[in-house]
Amino acid sequence: MNTQQSQLTEKESLDLIAKMINKAKESCHDTGIGSIMWGSVIAVCSLVKLSEIQFGYQLPFDIYLLTFIAIIPQIFISIKSRKERKVKMHEDAYNSSIWLSFGICIFLLILILNFIFNDWESVGREYRELTGHPSGFMFSEYISALFLMLYGLPTFVTGYALKFKPMFWGGIICWVCCIVSLFTTIKIDLLLVAFAAISAWLIPGIILEKEYQKAKRELKAANV
Amino acid sequence: MFKDLDPILHSQLRLAVMSILISVKEAEFTFLKEKTNSTAGNLSVQIQKLKEAGYIDVTKQFKDNYPQTICKITKQGIKAFEIYVTSLQSYLGTG
Repeated sequence: MNTQQSQLTEKESLDLIAKMINKAKESCHDTGIGSIMWGSVIAVCSLVKLSEIQFGYQLPFDIYLLTFIAIIPQIFISIKSRKERKVKMHEDAYNSSIWLSFGICIFLLILILNFIFNDWESVGREYRELTGHPSGFMFSEYISALFLMLYGLPTFVTGYALKFKPMFWGGIICWVCCIVSLFTTIKIDLLLVAFAAISAWLIPGIILEKEYQKAKRELKAANV
Repeated sequence: MFKDLDPILHSQLRLAVMSILISVKEAEFTFLKEKTNSTAGNLSVQIQKLKEAGYIDVTKQFKDNYPQTICKITKQGIKAFEIYVTSLQSYLGTG
């Protein structure tokens, strides 16, 4: 496009507008590294927890601490990605805020669950002392469902708003797994969480990263 | 025939730049250069014209010791672009 004053017909003008709008929309690719990392971390945590229950061993630390450690690389990924971007879209602010809200909700859910567990322990102990057998209500059976419900929310919204089908379906898979986990044992719940994390974040993350790398290569080639 | 069309927008490169900027929040100069397949010199001139017309805001800053130019469409630019598209549609009888 080097003819700065070339006159356009009405049709050519409208075609040019449509072409440029499409080019701008298509060229905005996010790195999928964050999504890949969180999908892997959650899947690994769930599968390790499952193996602890299945094979009767216990790691010297809670495997879910990995999720807190993963926040550190996430911060670096976000800063690097922001620096590399040559264009900001209107939906960036909404997308960032929904994932930030999700992080805060997960933190609050963990906090609430800790409070419930502390209170429930004393109720369960009293019940055992009075009746001589453990309570039939196992609160831990329902924890995965709560997390899966939350996992689905930002994933579905991102997939729906950005028209990114892998995340749209990933969000739906999280909610389906949430319902199924209400009727299954803890072991199956953990498998469902791992499956949901792989479907909602790991696979869409790999797809995103491939597109991002492709766009990067094209940009490099265009600038040579 | 085109006497009612905004002469600032009715130019291939300026229209291309405005079409990109209407779809994004803001874009770097290098991004616009790549998407419009234009030369840096030509693009600079056209961006300056759009800026002088009040259609875009241009911010110059430094990023990792390199100069960076960021372009953003203004409210006046959005209005002008909308009027331009409406005029085009009325010419074509699609609006």
